[in-house]
Amino acid sequence: MGRRTWWLGVVWLVVLGLVLAACATPTPQVIKETVVVTKEVEKVVTKEIPTLTVIGPWAGAEMDQFTPVLAAAEEKLGIKVRYRIYRAEDLSQVLPPQFAAQQAPGDVIFMWEWWVRENAEHAVDLSDIWASEAEQFMLQPTPVDGKIYNVPYVLWVKPGFWYKKSFFEKNGLEPPTTWDEFIALLDKISAIPGVKKAIITGDGVGWPVGDIVEHFLITFGGPELQEDLIAGKVKFTDPQVRQIFAERLVPLLGTYFSDPVEWTQAIDLWWNEEYGLYFMGNWLTGMVEDPDDLGVFTLPGARGVVGGTDWAFVPKYSENVDAAKALIAFMISKEGMEIRVKQGGKLASRKDVSPNAYPPADRALAEALAQIENPAVPDLDDAVGGDWQRYFWDQMKLLWVKPDQLDTVLENLDARFPTQ
Amino acid sequence: MARMMQRRRIWHHPRVRDGLAFIMFTGPALVLIVLFIILPAVQTIVLSFTDDTGAFVGLRYFREVLANPDTWNIRRFPPGIPPWGSLVHNAVWILVHLPLSVALGLILAVVLDKAWGATVLKSIIFLGMVTPMIIGGVIIRFLFDENAGIITAILRGIGLEALGRTWTAYPETALVALILGSVWLWVGFSMILYSAGLATIPREYYEAAAVDGAGPLQQFWHITIPALRPVTLVIVAMTILWELKIFDIVYTATLGGPGGATMVLALQMYFYAFRALQFNHAAAVATLLSLFTFIVGLWFTRTMRT
Repeated sequence: MGRRTWWLGVVWLVVLGLVLAACATPTPQVIKETVVVTKEVEKVVTKEIPTLTVIGPWAGAEMDQFTPVLAAAEEKLGIKVRYRIYRAEDLSQVLPPQFAAQQAPGDVIFMWEWWVRENAEHAVDLSDIWASEAEQFMLQPTPVDGKIYNVPYVLWVKPGFWYKKSFFEKNGLEPPTTWDEFIALLDKISAIPGVKKAIITGDGVGWPVGDIVEHFLITFGGPELQEDLIAGKVKFTDPQVRQIFAERLVPLLGTYFSDPVEWTQAIDLWWNEEYGLYFMGNWLTGMVEDPDDLGVFTLPGARGVVGGTDWAFVPKYSENVDAAKALIAFMISKEGMEIRVKQGGKLASRKDVSPNAYPPADRALAEALAQIENPAVPDLDDAVGGDWQRYFWDQMKLLWVKPDQLDTVLENLDARFPTQ
Repeated sequence: MARMMQRRRIWHHPRVRDGLAFIMFTGPALVLIVLFIILPAVQTIVLSFTDDTGAFVGLRYFREVLANPDTWNIRRFPPGIPPWGSLVHNAVWILVHLPLSVALGLILAVVLDKAWGATVLKSIIFLGMVTPMIIGGVIIRFLFDENAGIITAILRGIGLEALGRTWTAYPETALVALILGSVWLWVGFSMILYSAGLATIPREYYEAAAVDGAGPLQQFWHITIPALRPVTLVIVAMTILWELKIFDIVYTATLGGPGGATMVLALQMYFYAFRALQFNHAAAVATLLSLFTFIVGLWFTRTMRT
């Protein structure tokens, strides 16, 4: 056999290997553990320990806060868990082809609620584990044909404007209790030497800007307005909505709000006191040097704040459906949730978690939220979902730098709002 | 015995042997190309002409895509500011990025041809090419950022305060920022190809031209540029293809915003498929993109042949 023929054979083998590998169904990974049952008998049995893959969006500090829950679950349930980071945006690309091939990249996946609802045929019915817990939760999943396909995990809230207590003390500033006081506060902050603008606007793909807008809508229109907007009962061009934009928000843009700045970079700039206030969710407590120096206030008069959660589901193509359901049941249990909130950066979505479970900064926030009528108003763009979510963020970013285009922006939002 | 001999003769016939060799050698590549490129491409084209039930719907999805202002918003074209639609943005990208990348690459290659430390400088310039485009998008975003950006700092330093703000936040400047940033990322490609091309031009041409009294500019114009024509064709074709499929830079730097001011076809396809879950519309955009790249590819192969 000539050398050329030999190499050709190798190339063919590689190609065949690639094709077969692409077609093959992966076998579930199982770890075998030898267990001594009794000392007397010294009988050795082999027990199969399923290895579950949990996919979530948390990286860095947020991941470090989540992994203790998985470690506790491993110990309690006798399973192995590996954690993989995927943002929902990335999962939206990965999951459809995987599901089409009747495969799943993970056993427990955190994903947008609307997306799971749209893809319920690929998810496991979690009604049985949810039924016993439902009453304890502040947020309820939306059933699909009477079944529950995803369940809420820990709570994040977007409570309002964060400030450094030390900065406020140094400059003789006080959290406002009325709209006029709020404007006066912004004027005072703007006049402080070294301060570029009173409020720094976070930016990412646009969601931080959308969060600010929602806070204004809830404060001046009530949680009901937000819910009506989500349901499509009220349009963005509605006089009430337009008025909130035109009279409350737009006059502050340019004057008090900065241009959108990448949101993690914005934390540093704000912490360095180049800006006085920062509107962000409660995960901020895990991202600053000294969480005890944090203070937060809502817009005066706010009866509710946006609160939401990360939703977990089990794809029906998981090789370990029962173990995955047990893991979810543990994560949403009182015990599992207390382990998570103890790490900081998130609040419990269960009502029966004691404030003592929180670290100090989060405890203060949890207690403050207890005074608010509705601490978990649904997030507008999350609830509507789909491409409109991205469009909403993008239009808000446009509004931030082009406030004169308000009417066009509102018309665009209505025009693209999903009809169903 | 006679039959065996005859069979052996057939296998050793030159045409049969050549045919077998052709199949054996091209086979592995063909299998992969058919499985992973041609089949998905055909499926995508089929998807763009059929609805969810598989029924043929003609050009319905193409009409809907082209009627979408995200694709075609020519009423806002200058003097109006973007968004002008993804199709127009891609065209603007080609019109601005292509000449800049080609010209800058050529200039850098010529200037650095025999300069001291050219290898180091070329390596630095080429870094843009080896940087993952996802990272490139993040870098572009920060380059033009009001607080962290070096470009905006320089502009403020020379008194251009209006340009010292975050470029990617404003619809007037976002597309320009991405295009200029992508020139930086891509110019290493044209520079390296031109450098290789320059090395192939015989020195005698320049010596003869110098004897005839031609200055450096005349030599550049009458020798260098014509001699580099094949290289230029490769660079132009590859650059247009890159510009047509531009995605990652826009995704990380602006996500097509603000207000759709930097939306491009590939990103629009992504949004159709993975945000709106409208796979047929996404397939229509993909088919349009394939058509454009096919035209460029056809032009390139024909020009190269002539």
